[in-house]
Amino acid sequence: MEGKIPEFGRFAEPSLLILVSLSDGPKHGYAIMQDVEQGTGRPMGAGTLYAALARLEEQGLIEPLPPEDRRRPYRLTAVGASNLAEQLRGLSEFAQMGLRQLGKT
Amino acid sequence: MTSFLIRFYPARWRARYGDEFEAILEERPLGPFDLADILLGALDAQLRLHGRMSDIQQGKGFSMSLRVGGFAAIFGGAIFALSIVVGIGIVGNVEPVVPGILLVTGSLALLVALVGLSAFQARVHPVLSWAAVAIAAAGTIVGIVGIVGLQLVAEDYWIAFILGILGALVGSTLFAIATYRTAALSRGAALLLGVCSVLTIAAGQGGNILGPVPLVVTSIGFALGWFVLGIHAVRLERPASDPRPA
Repeated sequence: MEGKIPEFGRFAEPSLLILVSLSDGPKHGYAIMQDVEQGTGRPMGAGTLYAALARLEEQGLIEPLPPEDRRRPYRLTAVGASNLAEQLRGLSEFAQMGLRQLGKT
Repeated sequence: MTSFLIRFYPARWRARYGDEFEAILEERPLGPFDLADILLGALDAQLRLHGRMSDIQQGKGFSMSLRVGGFAAIFGGAIFALSIVVGIGIVGNVEPVVPGILLVTGSLALLVALVGLSAFQARVHPVLSWAAVAIAAAGTIVGIVGIVGLQLVAEDYWIAFILGILGALVGSTLFAIATYRTAALSRGAALLLGVCSVLTIAAGQGGNILGPVPLVVTSIGFALGWFVLGIHAVRLERPASDPRPA
């Protein structure tokens, strides 16, 4: 699929969820976990969260902010926002195609 | 419990994420799902770090290959050209064995250069690149046989000496073509090397008619081609952050 984050493997979906969570402003790890659980109804483990965060940071899609106490917030970079928009457009087209096909059957 | 779990992560990962990760784990009680997830995350971090170290080692190996190949090209091109100039007898009182020693030394160095500098070319033009190395290697072996034969047996071994020169020149020509096509190193130098290698072979054929001048000129061009390619390879190898003179 166009816009899918390269080389993220099984962390592609958690990475997308993190990017969506950060799209309305910076958040620290625990807030991201709560946001994802609220949005999807499924919990995201801390191990998965940080495996995805490390990849996103390495690719320059998110960036860390100065820590507040022991919590470090992350925010979306311009590249990350662009990548997220591209992924969401791709998913939207895919969903529309699926719905059209369902309508035909 | 949390500090015990974090110990499964690599030290470099802990130095970067350890504090905030521990703070998250302290936010809520850990269930079996969390334990499994953290252990899988630690395994992933270990594997990623190991993979990155392998990439660094591979990169270092490639840099070393370029550096060695570059210096071998500079040295080998000059010595090989010198062996031709000395071999045609325009230098004066030189022991008959000297051109042969120069030829074998230069050929061996050029073989190292061909192997060291062919990494890019071999991906795009594997046949050309392998043929260049194989022909140069065969030429070097024949050249060594020639120089040993000349010393120990008879003058009939001159043919081996000539074949040694031809092997290095043909190998250099093929390498020059592959390099020019891929633009992996300076295309101008590759063109110079290729043209001068062919002209050296041609000038060697017509040596009796044209005299030594064309052979000397093409040999210098041959050495210059290898010199520029060698310099280019060594400069490619230099890290971008290295300070350069103003």
